[in-house]
Amino acid sequence: MSGASLQPDSAKQAASLGFKLTLPAQLLVLFIAVFPTLMQIYISLTDWSPLSGANWWMAYGFWNNFANYFDLLQDGRFWGALRRTGLVMLVCVPAEFLLGLALATLFVDEFRGKKIFYSILLMPMMVVPAVAGYMFYMLFQSTGPINHILSTLTGSTVSIAWLSDTTYAMIAVMIADIWQWTPLMFLILLAGLAGVPEDQIKAATLLGASARQRFITIVIPRMKTIMIIALSIRLIENFKIFDTLYIMTGGGPGTATETISVYFYKVTTQDLIWGYVAALALFILVVLSVVAVYAMKRLALAIEVAA
Amino acid sequence: MKKSIPFEVFRYAMIALALVVALIPIAWMASMAFKPVGEWSATGADLTWWPKHPTLFNFNFIFGQSDTSLIVALEKTAAKPILASLLSSIFGTLIAISAGTAAAYGLSRFGAGKNLPLALIQLRIFPPMAVMIPVMIMWAFLRLNDTWFGLALVYGIVTLPFAFWLMKTFFDDMPREIEEAALVEGCSRWRVFTRITLPMMRAPLASAALFVFIMNWSDYLIALLLTSREWVTIPVYMASLSSSMTGQLYGAKAALGLIAAIPPLVLGIAIQKHLVRGLTFGALKQ
Repeated sequence: MSGASLQPDSAKQAASLGFKLTLPAQLLVLFIAVFPTLMQIYISLTDWSPLSGANWWMAYGFWNNFANYFDLLQDGRFWGALRRTGLVMLVCVPAEFLLGLALATLFVDEFRGKKIFYSILLMPMMVVPAVAGYMFYMLFQSTGPINHILSTLTGSTVSIAWLSDTTYAMIAVMIADIWQWTPLMFLILLAGLAGVPEDQIKAATLLGASARQRFITIVIPRMKTIMIIALSIRLIENFKIFDTLYIMTGGGPGTATETISVYFYKVTTQDLIWGYVAALALFILVVLSVVAVYAMKRLALAIEVAA
Repeated sequence: MKKSIPFEVFRYAMIALALVVALIPIAWMASMAFKPVGEWSATGADLTWWPKHPTLFNFNFIFGQSDTSLIVALEKTAAKPILASLLSSIFGTLIAISAGTAAAYGLSRFGAGKNLPLALIQLRIFPPMAVMIPVMIMWAFLRLNDTWFGLALVYGIVTLPFAFWLMKTFFDDMPREIEEAALVEGCSRWRVFTRITLPMMRAPLASAALFVFIMNWSDYLIALLLTSREWVTIPVYMASLSSSMTGQLYGAKAALGLIAAIPPLVLGIAIQKHLVRGLTFGALKQ
C-alpha cells in the first residue's frame, strides 16, 4: 500500500481524493448500521408497535422498564429457535465440509471430463435459494419423487410424510441445505488442495508414506487456514438460514423447524411486537459481535498467512 | 500421482453419484415446468421423470393465458415481478459496485477508510432479519416501501461488502507502474483513476458486477419484508402462486422457478474463476 512514494505536495491531494472516494461507502454503512442501531436500541426499551398509532419517535410513551429484555430470557420459543439453529449448524456444516472435502480430493489431479463435471457440481449453489426450497418442497411431498425413489430401491411402498412430521421435516430441510452448500465447500477446498505443493507429496510417497499419512502430515497443515475460512463462512451463513427452509416448511409443523430467522420473521410480520423484536435483535447482534470480533481476529490472521 | 484402474473406477463412480444427486432437484423442477395440469400431482406409476405430454402451458399461464383445465385466473401475471427483480437487482448492483469500487480504490491506493474492511465484514455477518425493524420503519417514513428503488438501495448496501472486497483484491493485485507513469506525465489522480485504471479493470469490474448481481437476484427475505403488492420480486410472487381451489400450482411455480434459476446458472459459469475470491472476501484466489 504505497501511494506515499510520491512528492509531498501531492500527498494532500491523494488524501483528499481518498476521502472522497471512500465517502459514499462510509455514508451507506452509516445509513444502514449506525442510525438504525440507535433507533433499534430506543425502540427496544418500549412496547411500541406499528399498530400503536404513534410514530416511532414517540415510542417513549410506551417505555416499559426493560421488560423486553427480561421477557426474552424466559421466551421459550426464542431459545427453542436458537437451539434448532444450533442443531442445523452442527449437522449441516460438518456434513457439507466432509462431503466437499471428499469430492475435492477426487478432483485434485487431471482426468477426462474434469471441467464439465466441476461446472455441473457447482450448479446447486447457483440456484436461487427460494427456488431450491421449492424444488425440495416438491421432492419431499408424501406422494412425490423422493418416496417414489425410496419405494423403488426398497421394493416396498414408502410414504413418509416428510414435511408434516416433526423429525422428518428437520431432516428434509437439512438435506436441502447440504445439497445446496456442499458445492461451496467443494469449491473452496479444491482451490486450497490445488495449492498444496505436489513435490512434497511426491517426496513423502517416495519415503513410503501412506495416503492417510500424507493427508494428515502434509495436506491438513497446509490447508488449515483455508479450512478455517471455509468453515467460518458456512457457519456465519448457516446461522441466517431462512429462504429454503421457510419455503419448505414455514418453520412448521408447529415450531419443529423454526430457526432464529424464521422466528424473527414471524414475530415481526404476524405478532407485530416490534419493540420486543428490536430487543431480540439487539441481543443477537451483541452476542454475534462478541463472537465475530474473536473470529475475525483469527480470520484476519489466517488471511495474512494465506496471502 | 500414478493412476490405478480401481481408483479411476472408484472416482468415476463417486462423481457419477454426486452428479445424480446434484441434478435430481433441478431436473425434477425442469420437467415439472413442461408438464400439463393433469400430470402436476401424478403419483405412483404415473409419476414420471419426463413429461408424458410436454407443453408450454405453464409458461403461458404465468404470463396471463387462462385455461379451462384450471378454474383459477391469476390476479397478476409474472411480468411485473420479473421486472421488479431485474430493476432492483441491476440498480442494487450499480450502487454496490460504484460505492465499492471507489472505496476499494481509495483504500488500496491512498490508505483512506481503514475502518471499511472490518465494518463491511461485520455488515455481512449480521443476519438481515436482525436489522430489518429499523429499516422497515425508515423505509415506511421515506416512502420507499414497496418500490423497486427502495429495494435496490437495500440490495446495494447488503452486497457492498462483496463489491468492496472483490475490487480491493483486484486493485491490490494490479501493477502500479502505468498509473505512476501517468502521474509523472502530469495527469491528475482523478484522471488516472477514471481514464487509466478503470478501463484497465474492465474485466474484473464485469466479474464483480455479475457476482453482486447474482447475490441480489437470489434474495428472498428482504423482498418479502419490503415489498407487498406492486413490486414483489420473483421469489415472493412465486410463493404466492397457489389457490384455495386447486392448492399448489405446481407446474406454474416450476416454470417460474426455472426462469428465476437460469440467469445465475449461466452467469455463474461465466465468472467461475472468480467465485472463490468473491465468496471468501478475497482471502483465496484461484
